[in-house]
Formats: sequence, structure tokens, C-alpha cells
Amino acid sequence: MSGPGASKKGDLPDLLTAAIFIGFGALGLWLSRNLDGGTLSQMGAGYLPRAVSIILIVLGAAIGLKATRSASQPIEGLKLRPLLIITLSVIGFAYLAEHAGFVLASFWLVVAGTLADPGSRLRTTLLLAAGLTAFGALVFVKGLGVQIDLWPF
Amino acid sequence: MNTFDLLMLGFSEAMTPANLGFCLIGALLGTLIGVLPGIGPTATIAVLLPITFFLPPLAGIIMLAGIYYGAQYGGSTTAILVNLPGEASAVVTTLDGYQMAQQGRAGAALAVAALGSFFAGTVATFGIAIAGPMLSSFALDFGPAEYVSLMLFGLLAATILASGPVLKAIGMILIGLLFGMVGTDQATGAERLTFGSIDLFDGIEFTVIAIGLFGFTEIITNLERSGSEGVKVAPLTRLWPTREDFRRAWPAVLRGTGIGTFLGILPGGGATLASFSSYSLEKKVSKNPRAFGHGAVEGVAAPEAANNAAAQSSFIPLLTLGIPSNNMMAMMLSAFMIHGITPGPTVLTNQPEIFWGLVASMWIGNLLLVVINLPLIGLWVRLLTVPYRLLYPAILLFCCVGIYSINNRIFDVLLAAGFGLLGYIFRKAKCEPGPLLLGFVLGPLLEANLRRALLISQGDASVFIERPISLTMLIATVVLLALMILPSFRKKREEAFQEEEA
Repeated sequence: MSGPGASKKGDLPDLLTAAIFIGFGALGLWLSRNLDGGTLSQMGAGYLPRAVSIILIVLGAAIGLKATRSASQPIEGLKLRPLLIITLSVIGFAYLAEHAGFVLASFWLVVAGTLADPGSRLRTTLLLAAGLTAFGALVFVKGLGVQIDLWPF
Repeated sequence: MNTFDLLMLGFSEAMTPANLGFCLIGALLGTLIGVLPGIGPTATIAVLLPITFFLPPLAGIIMLAGIYYGAQYGGSTTAILVNLPGEASAVVTTLDGYQMAQQGRAGAALAVAALGSFFAGTVATFGIAIAGPMLSSFALDFGPAEYVSLMLFGLLAATILASGPVLKAIGMILIGLLFGMVGTDQATGAERLTFGSIDLFDGIEFTVIAIGLFGFTEIITNLERSGSEGVKVAPLTRLWPTREDFRRAWPAVLRGTGIGTFLGILPGGGATLASFSSYSLEKKVSKNPRAFGHGAVEGVAAPEAANNAAAQSSFIPLLTLGIPSNNMMAMMLSAFMIHGITPGPTVLTNQPEIFWGLVASMWIGNLLLVVINLPLIGLWVRLLTVPYRLLYPAILLFCCVGIYSINNRIFDVLLAAGFGLLGYIFRKAKCEPGPLLLGFVLGPLLEANLRRALLISQGDASVFIERPISLTMLIATVVLLALMILPSFRKKREEAFQEEEA
């Protein structure tokens, strides 16, 4: 059971893959522990989730075993700044949109989001934020009727 | 009604001012994102999916389709002029297209690419018009067992033809299947894999996964890479190719169209695979293979025709069988579903205007693309100079508003942020997220049909090999798997994808 490319692909990315697959498989098994399995002719809710999870774990184990034996290969270009900033700015948008309205949320998203790029300048950022917020308010909220308050009051 | 009447019906649908307008918007948007590197059609369509909810079904689908084939056009423009493939499918075009541009024949290369694509698009559109009704009348005989086998074949073939290690792709499909099971089980009504959260009882929204895995992740990884150097644009010359160019490009376009149309139909095929295959075919049949890589016009004509033909013909399995063959088609499937239409043989009989309207609009869209692209090339190229740091906040905002608008739920936005994180981990593990999307979309269908088939046969699994169509499909699946194990085929496939990565 060796896939093509697996022989060349090395250590870390494949080990990470194995961890992901086994992790999801285990999670699937755990979450479906109380579900009724049923029989082949009367499949219960738990039949397929369990089957899929088990295959996933086997697959992950196979990839992991192979990865420990193949030549080492690093995980490329890990930079936390864009990852964290983009994720946080989206989460912030979600909360602000609910409690403070679209205008503030959108402004936050653009301003916080641009921090992910080290070369951003405050002036351009503010202009961009104002422009995009106005555009979004007009097109999405007014034009397309997305159900979201514009202002917190 | 015969095919001609139906086509006329399609054209009358596609030619209404509104639909024409959305076709144009789609084609323009497609060209735009095709030109801009760092924004792919998958992410764009994911972002725009929620918006199509506000449009009539046909208009929304016409627009999304326009984005898909428009991106193939736009991608080639930048490939030729600045050696920067806007889309993966345009990577091979850079080889000879940029060389032509360097030799002062940029105009000819662009014109050959555009005309070749138009020709291919026309042929593939007619291919859909002819193959569609045939395949779907065939599919009317399908029972649950046939669908299960077809989906298994589709999913496996998709992983084998798509790039990357097969084991990882299969694993990604399985994860997609798991995500597809989240929520209330259709058959028993039990809550599954929800962590007990009420927000997940209705399952995960397709758009949430698509925007998370493609939209957010793409932004994050693009920012990681940042530092885009200045772009050097090759000077534009006269557009019309010489007679010699025409003579050499013509047969290449024909071959490219053939390959593209065929590969587009296959599961996992699609534009990228088609352009690579047709390029290597041209190199093989050429009397002068050494000219390739140094500005051979065939090297532009064939892949451009092929990727456009494939972009269109990949609609065939979706429209006739209801089975998406790649992640773009998974997006299209959910665009149909948003409007409560399940693509498949019944759409052709019950809502012929949807199928034929889309077919007609594809041809119109291709015509529009030639008209838009050739005179406006200067404008598109200037867009290349817009820095990414001005673009991504806009994309980010569209993503967030888009997700929110589906259910007016903040939870969906948070979930998408989570999928963005997950997508990032997938990238670092070198796992392609495409198969996950396919698994997610096909999962519920697969489960429902599997249950039905086994219920009818009272748990007897031999039902899958007793029915001839189902058996054929399973044999095809096994043959594909066996091919994967054969060393010679494996090597070929690896080579093909290495070229792609280079």
C-alpha cells in the first residue's frame, strides 16, 4: 500500500498528515461511540462514521510508518504572524458584527487584517478600510439585503 | 423537442438581458481573478456562492460558470505577458507563450490563445449539448447500487488523476466524508458528530468549508510568501498572428480540444491536467520538438484549447449524473443545491431551461471573452500592478460577509475561521484540500444510496456486482487502483506532476 510520491516525500509533512488522519479518525470513533451501528441491511447512524474513522486511522498509521523511515524533510515556511492575525481578525469580525454592527466590524477586519502584512502603512490602511466598509455597507447590507445592523445603536 | 429546439430554448433563456449581464459579469470576474495571481477560481466561487442565493437559479449558475472558464482565459494572459501563470492550468502556457512574447510576438500568442480557447469552448459546448441528453437518459436507469459504484469510481478516479500522493488524497476524501456526516442523520434522525452543539444540528454549510479551506487559507499562505517583486510586462505588439502561425496552430488546437474535452469528462480531470497532457502530446507529435520552450506556437495553442475545453466538458458528469468530477464542480453542485435543484438526469426533463440555458450561456460567454480579452488586454495587465496587500483585505471582507449571509449566523463565520486554521495545517502537511470537498459533497449521497441499495438487497453486498452497470464501474475502479500499483504508470504520473510543480 504505497502511494506514489510517498517514497520521495519525507518526514515531517507526512508525519503531520498521519497525525491529522489518526486524530480525525479517533475523534470520529469517539463521537460516534453512542450511535447505533445497525446491520448491513439496516444501517444505523453510527455504521458509516465508524467505518470511515477506522479506515482513516489505518491510513494514517500506514502513512506515519512510512514517514518515519523515509528521508527527513522539514515543514516549510512556518510563519505565525499571518496565521494568527488573519484568524483573530475574522473572529473579531464575527463578534463585532453581532454586537457592534457592520461598520465597526468591517473597519476592524480590514485594519486588523492588514497588520498581517508587515509592509502596510497606516494611511493606506485607513483609506482602504473606509472605502471597503462603505462599499460593503452599500452593496451587501443595502443592496443585497444581508441581515446585519450597520451601527451598534 | 429535438436538440435544435432545446438549444433555441437555451439561447432564448441565456439571451435575456439579466442573464446576459450575469454571464458578462462572470466572464469579467473570471478574467480578473485569472489575471491576478494569488486568487484562484475555487476561492472566488466559494466567496460568491452565498451571493448567488440572492439571484434566480439560472443567473447565479451562469455567473459562476463564467468565472470558471473566464479564469482559464485570464490565466493565460499573464502567463504569456509576464511569465506568471494566473491559474495552475496556465503553467504550461508560460513555457512557450512567454518566449513568444520575448521575441516580440506577444500579440500573436495572445490571439492564438484566445481564438484557440474560443474554438475549444465552442466544440466542448456542443459536446455537452449532444452528450448531455444521451448520458442522462442512460442515467435514468440507475438504481442506488449503480450510484454507489459510480460515486466510488468518481471519488477514487478523482484522487488518482489529481496531483499529490494517493494515500493522502484518499484520507482527505474520508475526512470530507466525516464532515459530511456531521448533523442530523437523514435516515434515523440521530445527531451525529456534533459535540452536542445545536449549531451543528443542520450540518456544516458547504460554503463555510470552502471559504475556510480555500479563501482564508489562501490568504494566509500568500501572506507568508509575500515579497512580490515588480512585474515586467513584455511589450505588446500587433495582435493578428501570421499565416504561418495559423497553419501551425490549427491542428494543435484541434488536438488540444479533443484531449481537453475527453479529460474534462473524467473524474478528477479538468483544466490543469488537460493542458499538461496536450502540451506533452504536441511535443511528441511535432516534427521539431526542440522548438518547444523557445516560442513554439503549438505550445500555446494546444494547452490553451485543452484547458478551456476541459473547463467546459467537466460540467458533463455534473449536469447529467449529478456527480461533480473536481472541486470546482463540487462548488457548482452546491450552487445548484442552494436553489433546491439537484443536478442530474431529472433536471434535463423537468427543468430543461436550466440545462440548456447554461449550455447556451457558455457559448455566449466564450464569445464575450474573446471580445473582452483582446481589446482590453492592456487594462488587465495594468491590474497586475495592484499589490496584494490592497487586495486581500477586500477578499477577507467578502469572505466574512459571504459566510454570514448564508444563515445570518455568527457561528458560521467562527467555524470558517476554524477551517482556515485547519486548511493551513493541511497545507503544511502537504495535503490537497480538493478531495475533502468532493468527499464532503458526495458523502450524504453516497450514504443514502448505500443504505438504500443494501436495504433493497436485504444486506446482500453482491447486489453491487450483479448489476452490469455497477459491475463495470467497480471493475474500472479496481483497474485504476491496480494501475496505481503498477510501477511504470506510477512513474509516469509522478513525472507528469513534477512538471506541474516545476
